[in-house]
Amino acid sequence: MIRMFHVHKIYPNRIIALKDINIHIKKGEFVFLVGPTGAGKSTFLKLIYRGIVPTKGQVIVDGINVARLKPKYVPYLRRNIGIVFQDFKLLFNRTVYENVSFGLNAIGATNLEIRQQVKKVLNLVGLEHKKRTKPHLLSGGEQQKLCIARAIANEPMILLTDEPTGNLDPDTSWEIMQLLFHINMRGTTVIMASHDKLMVDKARKRIIRLEQGRIVEDIQKGKF
Amino acid sequence: MIFENMGFYFKEALLSFRRNTLMCIASVISITTIFIIIGIFLLISLNFNLFLKNLESQLEIIVYLKDDISTAELDNLKNSLTSIEGVKEAKFVSKEEAFQRLLKDLGGQKDIFSIVEENPLPASFEIKANDPKMIEQIAHKVEKYKNVEEVEYGRGIVERLLNFTSIFRVVGISILILLIFASILIISNIMKITVYARRDEIEIMSLVGATRWFIKWPFILEGFLQGIISAILSILILYKFYFVVIDKIHQITPFLPVVWDKKELLVIGLALIVLGSLVGFLGSMFSVGKYISE
Ligand SMILES: Nc1ncnc2c1ncn2[C@@H]1O[C@H](COP(=O)(O)OP(=O)(O)OP(=O)(O)O)[C@@H](O)[C@H]1O
Ligand SMILES: [Mg+2]
Repeated sequence: MIRMFHVHKIYPNRIIALKDINIHIKKGEFVFLVGPTGAGKSTFLKLIYRGIVPTKGQVIVDGINVARLKPKYVPYLRRNIGIVFQDFKLLFNRTVYENVSFGLNAIGATNLEIRQQVKKVLNLVGLEHKKRTKPHLLSGGEQQKLCIARAIANEPMILLTDEPTGNLDPDTSWEIMQLLFHINMRGTTVIMASHDKLMVDKARKRIIRLEQGRIVEDIQKGKF
Repeated sequence: MIFENMGFYFKEALLSFRRNTLMCIASVISITTIFIIIGIFLLISLNFNLFLKNLESQLEIIVYLKDDISTAELDNLKNSLTSIEGVKEAKFVSKEEAFQRLLKDLGGQKDIFSIVEENPLPASFEIKANDPKMIEQIAHKVEKYKNVEEVEYGRGIVERLLNFTSIFRVVGISILILLIFASILIISNIMKITVYARRDEIEIMSLVGATRWFIKWPFILEGFLQGIISAILSILILYKFYFVVIDKIHQITPFLPVVWDKKELLVIGLALIVLGSLVGFLGSMFSVGKYISE
């Protein structure tokens, strides 16, 4: 599903965020991306949805060479990828329902599809009863669930989550984890960047460890 | 694709109007102000043009005739005058008519003439040219004709007037272009602020896989609507005040020609609406294009 060959990313300010990354993530896998702050986790995720292009090397997503994709096809790549951002990116002047429907609207879904999908994913994350609430009235965990709902509304093949349990208490974090496992079980490939040692150890999934832009460890069912 | 989603675009444009009411009002006021200035400018040009045309049409050559001209010679002269290239018409004014005109112009003071036994005024031809530029040339030709006593025309005035009109047109068009440019700049700057205020939405749209045009359309529509609304507002305001001002001018200087004809004013109204939609469309398109990364 996702392959990287000799990928380097150097930002315009000459910071080397990733160095010679080679990776293969299969369809349906659940992968943790761990490492200290500044290790390049967010950069790694951005390369997949073409938030950025690699300075060197190839990124292949579902058989598509992302780096060489023409800009006008980028939207169609992204329709296959759900993203949960480190900084939420919720629209605080819209309701819970509208936050999810907005994304579907943006890709031209019909009204019927939108109604069905929004209901389905809000049910899945357990926010159906708060659909008319504005996000700033939600707890941190609920906001994160809303982000997840929005990311999977379009039923993408890949779900990228950047520290979804960042500021949550252990119980809520575990709830979010369960949700992600559930989504993974339905066939979605999930990649989750995380600092959360406890959570990663408990999950016993594949772990890719980054340090200073390099992969220093890649283990199945690993410990942090 | 565009038409299928028109509902969404309109909804988003209206939503944005509701969310950023104050900003929208501010932008509509600024654009309306510029359009009013453009409108005033166009109205002045329209009236000034009428004034110049009027002046131009009043330019004529007066050919005074010798008193002893015979009827046959008169007919001959009239024929040769009208056959000169560039002459629009040659109107004969008899001695009698000239006298009557004088009396009429003098109004109440006609008794001065009761002592005059014989009509002292000569008969004349009043020649109008197709093009005021030809007046001088025609006048020189006519001077050499038989039975012509004297030829009179606005020596110098013609050239000065024509000079002035062409300068007026060049300056006018330059100012107009400047004003239109300014309004595009203002709209695009306002749209930049609007786009900036909604950068989160734009970013999310682009990250969930919305195409560039899908993201752009609501903004373009919004700019377009702002342009049209501003144009209509400025037309209403101009319309209201134009007739008040024209009325005043007419009272002060009744002989100054002014444009009353609503059909001619309609042209300016249409021009403003077309300009409004165009300026709104272009202004928003430029600014949104800059802010949407792939
Ligand atoms: N847009 C950018 N321009 C320049 N440098 C950047 C940019 N984004 C990230 N960096 C730098 O690249 C390096 C890797 O950043 P990245 O965000 O990928 O780290 P991270 O592992 O996600 O860190 P964290 O755990 O704090 O989120 C850092 O040194 C960061 O300062
Ligand atoms: Mg990060």
